Amino acid sequence: MTRTSKQTASRNVKPGEDFEPWESHNRVPLLVIWIALALGVWGTALLFQDQSSYSVAQGERAADEVAAHDAPEGGAALFLANCSTCHQPNGVGVRLAVPPLQDSEFAKAGPEVVAQIMLRGIDGPIRVKGFTFDGHMPSFAAALDDDEVAQLASYVAGRFGGADATLGRDQVGELRDAHAGSGSWQGGAELAGLVPGLPTQPAMPAMAQAGPDPAISDLIFAGKGDVWSCASCHGGLGQGAESTPRLAGLSQGYIVKQLRDFRAGERQNEQMSFVAKELSDFEIEGVATYYAGLRVDSTARPALGGDLARGERIALQGDWSLGVPACFSCHGPSGFGVGADFPALAAQQPAYLASQLAAWAGGHRNNSPLGLMDRISRALPESDRRAVADYLASLPAVPAVEQKAMARIEGGGDEL
Amino acid sequence: MNRYLPLVLIAFGILAFATLMLVIAPGIQMAQRTVPEGLRPYSEQESRGRKQYVSLGCVYCHSQQPRSPDQAPDVERGWGRPSVAGDYVFDRPHQLGTMRTGPDLLNVGVRLPSESWHLTHLYQPRAIFGWSIMPAYPYLFEEKAEAGPEDTVVVLPEGFGPESGVVVARPEALDLTAYLLALDRTYPIPEDALRDDGYARKESGS
Repeated sequence: MTRTSKQTASRNVKPGEDFEPWESHNRVPLLVIWIALALGVWGTALLFQDQSSYSVAQGERAADEVAAHDAPEGGAALFLANCSTCHQPNGVGVRLAVPPLQDSEFAKAGPEVVAQIMLRGIDGPIRVKGFTFDGHMPSFAAALDDDEVAQLASYVAGRFGGADATLGRDQVGELRDAHAGSGSWQGGAELAGLVPGLPTQPAMPAMAQAGPDPAISDLIFAGKGDVWSCASCHGGLGQGAESTPRLAGLSQGYIVKQLRDFRAGERQNEQMSFVAKELSDFEIEGVATYYAGLRVDSTARPALGGDLARGERIALQGDWSLGVPACFSCHGPSGFGVGADFPALAAQQPAYLASQLAAWAGGHRNNSPLGLMDRISRALPESDRRAVADYLASLPAVPAVEQKAMARIEGGGDEL
Repeated sequence: MNRYLPLVLIAFGILAFATLMLVIAPGIQMAQRTVPEGLRPYSEQESRGRKQYVSLGCVYCHSQQPRSPDQAPDVERGWGRPSVAGDYVFDRPHQLGTMRTGPDLLNVGVRLPSESWHLTHLYQPRAIFGWSIMPAYPYLFEEKAEAGPEDTVVVLPEGFGPESGVVVARPEALDLTAYLLALDRTYPIPEDALRDDGYARKESGS
């Protein structure tokens, strides 16, 4: 029998009924094992490399921040952390909103006066370097301990007022005890008793200030026959909530423009159109004046889950890779608002801000001068819109601006 | 098929496991929840309003469960932060809803805090939103020639009210409005809150 015929014969044999196919155990080729091992090592190495680049980036960012602040210590660091948001890093303040520290009469008066102002805060009009400010400075008594107040007061008086004297921790302790529970300074008028030789300070307005016209007041708090009251949605103090905007401290010109746009159908919102079409020009002006003059603490809190660091970056520096300028380049430092075209953003309700950015991006709101906000909003991705809205909500509220000064600015061409 | 005992045992085991994971464990988790700080029980009037809400079938068009930003842009719509289990401790039966023909209402009392707005809107939604598809509820109101001292008059634009006289709210409308205004879950999420974060990654840590 040849070999070929043998094979043919075996192929013809039918397997038995109980036949089970089987395969003997073969070793996995060594090459495959090595490849698998190498892949594993490579993956693990990548994992660690990725982590180290995270920590390197974090380190770089921290180094950047320190470098930007010139590695400050003591009073300088406290100043940057607590004061520079409003008084600006160079101490020049914000025109019409925040008094300057540089060469101010109060900084020149020495660290003791500065410490007393920091411990109590100021409410009411104050005249600094020839300009009147009517804002609110919070008390730092609870936020800083004696040592920090002493360092900060010495730093501010030394850097901006040229004072040589420094203040000790014990002296601050005495001042703190002396001023405990006395509330905020009632404007420059009360501080005049503390600092000799001040220029004439504006008088503190009486508490029973002449309110708005009774007709306006009724409209705000009770509504008219055919419209709801302003306060019923925007809150008694115009603080807003969720998608209802904060009105307190928005400029008069801005509120007037928005109400007229609602009335004319140039800004769409069914509820505000319902109200605005029943309002006369006199009522619009009166309501706007009322809300522009209100000083109310912020009730807004970051709520959209946005990245606050990213929001801060957009607000302060913009993002030129997206073609987005810094919010504050138009809306003023700290988002205080500038004139009638650039409303205050600080302490605005985050859901409202985000919804307006979305409305501009989607073309549902288009009453921005020159279409500025349309383009900016379209360039911001959704996560950035939330980030910036959350950051702005975390800022302190806008100090009210003296109405006359505002009117002069809006009229244009003044030496201010 | 003669080894039915292991089959029954395995089937029973699977059922027992499912019951443990889907019924018993969540039950234990829920039972540990306390009332969140900032949430108060409904007042008597608000509870009556809640019954109105249930009986009018608001739940068929309005949900009461804002989603997290990675699932839907609810926070940007002003509907409030994503809800957690503790937000519903006083809600029996809950009105979570699944349909969103209309907006979510879990925080409507914050977003729209005006009683007179709600009365106008319940009487005739199209008085405010010309495009609204919400039914009107005129039977919660009555027309009077003149409002009494106790009456709450509904603010209506021309063409939506009666030819003469005024529309005043019945107690049912006032109760329902009181309930809607009480819907406020904007207090911060409690530390021990139980919630489904979905695919959310913490953005703040980055």
